[in-house]
Amino acid sequence: MASVDADRSWRRRERASTAGLLSGPVLWLVLFFLGPVLYVAAYSVGGIKIFPTDAGVVSVGDWKRFLVGGSVYLGLFWKSVRISLTVSVIVVLLAYPVGYFLALCVKKRKYVLLLLIIAPFLTSYLLRVLAWEVILGDTGVINSFLTSVHLRSAGHPITWLLYSQFSVVVVLAYVWVPFVALPIFVSLDNLDLSLLEAAGDLGASRLRTFWRVTLPLSLPGVVAAFVFVFVPTIGEFVTPLLVGGPSGYMYGNAIQDLFTRGTDWQTGSVLAMFLLIVVAGLMALFGRYVRVRSVAA
Amino acid sequence: MTRELDRLIARRIGRRDLLRYAGIAAGAGVLAACKQASTAAAPGSGASRVPIAQEPGGLKVYDWAGYGGGEYYPKDEKATWTTPYQDATGDTPTFVLFENDDDGYTKVATGNAPYDVVHPCAYRFKDYVDLGAVQPWDPSLIKNFSQLTPLLEQFGQINGQQYFIPEDWGYIAPMYNADQVQPQEDSWSLLWDERYAKRIAWINTLEMLVIAGYYNGVADPWTMTDDELAAQRDFLISKKDLVSFFWDQSYDFWLKFKRGDVWIGYAWPDAFGYASAQGMNAVYMQPKEGRIHWACGLGLFADSQNYYHAHEYANVWSDVKTAEFLENFYYYGHANTTVDTSKLPPGVVKALNLDNLEAALSPPLSHQESWISRRDVYADYWGQVKAA
Repeated sequence: MASVDADRSWRRRERASTAGLLSGPVLWLVLFFLGPVLYVAAYSVGGIKIFPTDAGVVSVGDWKRFLVGGSVYLGLFWKSVRISLTVSVIVVLLAYPVGYFLALCVKKRKYVLLLLIIAPFLTSYLLRVLAWEVILGDTGVINSFLTSVHLRSAGHPITWLLYSQFSVVVVLAYVWVPFVALPIFVSLDNLDLSLLEAAGDLGASRLRTFWRVTLPLSLPGVVAAFVFVFVPTIGEFVTPLLVGGPSGYMYGNAIQDLFTRGTDWQTGSVLAMFLLIVVAGLMALFGRYVRVRSVAA
Repeated sequence: MTRELDRLIARRIGRRDLLRYAGIAAGAGVLAACKQASTAAAPGSGASRVPIAQEPGGLKVYDWAGYGGGEYYPKDEKATWTTPYQDATGDTPTFVLFENDDDGYTKVATGNAPYDVVHPCAYRFKDYVDLGAVQPWDPSLIKNFSQLTPLLEQFGQINGQQYFIPEDWGYIAPMYNADQVQPQEDSWSLLWDERYAKRIAWINTLEMLVIAGYYNGVADPWTMTDDELAAQRDFLISKKDLVSFFWDQSYDFWLKFKRGDVWIGYAWPDAFGYASAQGMNAVYMQPKEGRIHWACGLGLFADSQNYYHAHEYANVWSDVKTAEFLENFYYYGHANTTVDTSKLPPGVVKALNLDNLEAALSPPLSHQESWISRRDVYADYWGQVKAA
């Protein structure tokens, strides 16, 4: 009997302790994530009225207009997907050699080097992005150099370097490479090196070993890296705002404009919810193929 | 503790339960927020009229950058607004800034602007009144009110009451670098002149639709129909590739103009003022379709507990010293027309047509920036221009 009571008491304490541990994160999640998301979802169907111009009638009209009404914003979404895909591929291609070098080539001070790679994170994001204006501008570093070596005549700079999709891709790639090198590094750092030795012992060349052993084993890190870039850059708005110009305008900018430049929050909510749904779907899809532990060890 | 975390990670707590409870809590949060939203825009009917000595003070001014907050000219801004207000009341104002009128209005409309005085421009005045966010001023409490020109006074009158005290005004017009640009005619068409592709800046507001409307001969670009708006949208989309960037802050435009990144732009007078002060060969055009003139003014929040303090602040703003500051530093006009123009930079009198204000603020020279009843529709079309 005493042992049953002790067991019950232990379970009660366990439940209380579990609830205590959970309450903080759950409250945080509810207040700052679930609540706002539900609020935006309700706004997207007219369930909330804030402005005098809001209809205040529950309707999926804005969703229909967006999805099947030939909305220009859907086209903008696909444009943003295209830019994000380009950025993600470039970033992974650039970050992989960095991660490979750190994980498999460097023997000493690899973590010091890793710190150096992520050092740009210690400076302001805004400053890093604005620095590109100085580099890519008509009177910037690149155009000045091209003029000084007579590859361009004075007064005729390359104007598409800045305020274009090109500048958005370049700056986003620059910003994300150090961040993306991390999961790739972790993935490669956890490789069982005896497998590489075994491949060599069995006569595989270094290139063949890379293609048949190293790359497949590091794919979870590569996929995770890809997702790390792709998901946030679809909704990116700061970089296009600063260096995008008219042609570099992205889906995230449209959402920001709808909320801050007008009072059409319902359309803004539709766009925001659509993005959230797509991102959640992508995360679920990738989650099936990426073993989190293999890139977060 | 570690064991508890392990249990959580091992998902011994039902995920469905967790989501259910989280959903209930979130739903309650949304309901609470909805209630708050439905009451946020309610007009403040209980504004007290206690004597100034009994008012709480600590006047909160919701304004543009450069108008007292010390962002551009800290010493001069303080001397123009803060010090005279302090001398008159013993109170010190604090400044909260908005980036643009739409941004400012949005914050007010969502009930997140617990301030005393707001400084929007005329095209937004009626929105503030319709929202019930502001209350009428008593002009008899503003000593300098009599010095304000009647030409601009009507800007702030809605439903027969002085809801806004008109103060600063200016133009919207094309500006270009005459060293690089030779316009074929004085027209807004310079903003889509193919000879200067990628050297052109537009503003990032729906007023581009209005400009296109004037250029394309729409009778009243402030009340365009859907067909007219669609035509301006398609026109602007067809010209968008010529544009280097859309500016949000006039100062950003000026910096890029100064650097030579752009030679032509939709401009406010301050950009022309900066260029003139730097000795640049800039021209502030008088287009054949007419410039647009805007006026901004002070509004008194309906819930303000600083009724008399706010009137003192409006009095400082209506003073000739404020007019001198705006005209000298920003090339903006002011409703107080008692300024001695001989003491102003020569360029400002010409740029603002201060010597014949009545003609300058009337068609065909200039069109008044008006309230747009279908502003959301305009905003949607402008959004389509940018997204295309």
